[in-house]
Amino acid sequence: MDNLDAARLQMAITLIFHIVFACIGMVMPFFMVVSHKKWLNTKNPIYKTLTKSWQKGVAIFFVTGAVSGTALSFELGLLWPEFMKHAGPIIGMPFSLEGAAFFVEAIALGFYLYGWDKLPEKFHWFTGVIVGISGVASGILVVSANGWMNAPSGFDYINGEFLNIDPIKALLNPAWFTQALHMTLAAFTATGFAVAGIHAYQIIKKRNVELHKKAFKIAITFGAIAAILQPLSGDLSAKDIAKRQPAKLAAMEAHYETKKGAPLYIGGIVDEEKREVNYKIEIPNALSFLAFGDFDAEVKGLNDFPKDEQPKVATVHYAFQVMVGIGSLLMLAGIIFFISFKKKKWTNKKVYWLFFTLLAPMGFIALEAGWIVTEVGRQPWIIHNIMKTKDAVTPMPGIVYSFYMYVLVYLTLTIAVSWLMARQIKALNETEY
Amino acid sequence: MIYVVLFFLGFSLLLYVLLAGADFGAGIVELFSSKENQEITKKTVYRVMGPVWEANHIWIIILIVILWVGFPAYYNILVVHLHIPLTIMLLGVTLRGVAFVFRHYDAYKDKSQVLYDNMFKFSSLVTPIFLGTIFGAMVSGNIMLSEQASFKLVFIDSWLNVFSILVGLFFASLCAFLSATLLIGEAEKGNEKIYIKKSGIAVISVVLIGFITIAYGYFNNIKFVMDFVKNPYAIIAMAISALLLIPLWFSIKNGRRIKSRAFAGMQVVLILFAAIVTHFPYVIIANSKAISILDNTAPESTITNLGVTLIIGALVILPGLFHLLKSFKMIKILEQ
Repeated sequence: MDNLDAARLQMAITLIFHIVFACIGMVMPFFMVVSHKKWLNTKNPIYKTLTKSWQKGVAIFFVTGAVSGTALSFELGLLWPEFMKHAGPIIGMPFSLEGAAFFVEAIALGFYLYGWDKLPEKFHWFTGVIVGISGVASGILVVSANGWMNAPSGFDYINGEFLNIDPIKALLNPAWFTQALHMTLAAFTATGFAVAGIHAYQIIKKRNVELHKKAFKIAITFGAIAAILQPLSGDLSAKDIAKRQPAKLAAMEAHYETKKGAPLYIGGIVDEEKREVNYKIEIPNALSFLAFGDFDAEVKGLNDFPKDEQPKVATVHYAFQVMVGIGSLLMLAGIIFFISFKKKKWTNKKVYWLFFTLLAPMGFIALEAGWIVTEVGRQPWIIHNIMKTKDAVTPMPGIVYSFYMYVLVYLTLTIAVSWLMARQIKALNETEY
Repeated sequence: MIYVVLFFLGFSLLLYVLLAGADFGAGIVELFSSKENQEITKKTVYRVMGPVWEANHIWIIILIVILWVGFPAYYNILVVHLHIPLTIMLLGVTLRGVAFVFRHYDAYKDKSQVLYDNMFKFSSLVTPIFLGTIFGAMVSGNIMLSEQASFKLVFIDSWLNVFSILVGLFFASLCAFLSATLLIGEAEKGNEKIYIKKSGIAVISVVLIGFITIAYGYFNNIKFVMDFVKNPYAIIAMAISALLLIPLWFSIKNGRRIKSRAFAGMQVVLILFAAIVTHFPYVIIANSKAISILDNTAPESTITNLGVTLIIGALVILPGLFHLLKSFKMIKILEQ
């Protein structure tokens, strides 16, 4: 493995893990405060037990998210020093604001976790709300920095130098909104379905059913609403990418030949040697419509991009299919959940709970797939059309060893966190009222 | 505006050293305690640090963001040349953070606690040693600015040398001193003695390791040390810091916990000041030349923007942080 591949893989692995921790740490506080509010309103002790149990989850995930985020903030420089040297001053704004938001979150979490029976009830609850809001703000700001890599703006690039830097324009780069919206909804979908799935499983096992049903309902409501809204945000993203990063769009769709009225491929096996897609389902003119809102629009194919400016088509295409496929499934599941409000007898069936149990990991798989689309799809650029990833990597050899170390550490962390969660649930089921 | 940014850089560094330092120190104190005292320390540490420890560690993120946004060329040298110790330090931060939370939030308190405890204690020692080593490496004159030399010369010898590691040990003992002094005032009645003793041992190690470090640097002609011992400000700061041991001793003896903390904090601030003032702004002393943090800073527009963001951020965060510390009785001044 050469140094560049090792550095990319290390970055990928750290991000893949961090995203899971961060999303849960960012979304779960919302579940927690809803349950907390219900406790305050109804004084039903089940809600208090649930809130306290979720709060432990929030604390554990917040910290794993925070430490893996600290590691990431260093890794940006450790792995991509040339990138940070030039990009740092331009995209400092989202990062420094993110630092501030994260700080607010940590302070609010300190109040929340340790404030039971010490702080005035309403203030205590409100600190939980701040945890959630500042968490989402952090997420949006970090995604905005990523958006800048896709849509660099706020500077003039003259003779290899970055001049006339405008940090605010860089923060509000053309990609920030679509990406942040898509990611925020994805975080809610993924966490909502994951948490709901875990509680659904407990319901199947008939453990503490009343509590788990309440927990399920709170989590799935967030997840379902986000999942139903997500396709709209996806459409905005696709149209945006079609304009700004046509090579990425072409790779997502495995679209090789420039064509007017381009068809949309669903599934299929990409043959990167022969540059064609086999065994696909073809929907005529659909790609042109989805990308430009016009059935006859011309969509530029990969063959019209220089060879060294094309991302890895198969990876991006498959990841995109996975994301869209699961996204559609979750939207459907969201609709099923809302219908089950009317058709109460559905919820008496084991298959209903089994369905949601099986969906537990799906949101996160889709979310990771989506990030693979946007990150691998951006290659070979680290700053789109300005700096290539290979020119940004650290001169230090032997990154592969550091990569192995990170894999080991994060795998262990993931196993440890999952084990801790399982123990939390076990303890929760042993709670008596 | 660059001075505003520099101020915040120094401010975050200071708070990181004080707050995270006391936090690392807690683990070190626990590590060097007898079994019975470990349990007491664990409980006290949790009560004192629980609500605030995460906020304590965010200062390093603020620090790093200011560095890369405002001083990209300077930051670049650190991340390229000190890649390995930085990675080890990060590993320490990671393990320590998760261990701290795991041991308090695990639903069952069984054998796994032993693992968390050990993880917490050892990473609490390793992390500040490497933090100190990183600073030692920055000023040791061993950083090879050319990347053409062998891997060992460029990426290992820059930090794996006696002087840098001595600085690392010095910082770790400083952390232990901060924490032990803090814990004296937080311990339950009857337990203060444990920490008074620990604080005493820590003071002795700080003085001893500090002395060895300077002597080693002096006899090995390390430029930083040579300049350090000749710099009047550094000498005065060190002298005051040493003299403060006397009022510190009296305030501990009389149970004045706020005063004793203030003295201990001041001592650390003075040591930090002495270390920085000697060569400021040339805070990297590489093999061929010293590098100023003020060379090749980010463009004016970025600095202005960063400065404004920091001011606004501070206005939002500091009152909240203060309130948090106050609410959980970290700051007792207001109640006395």
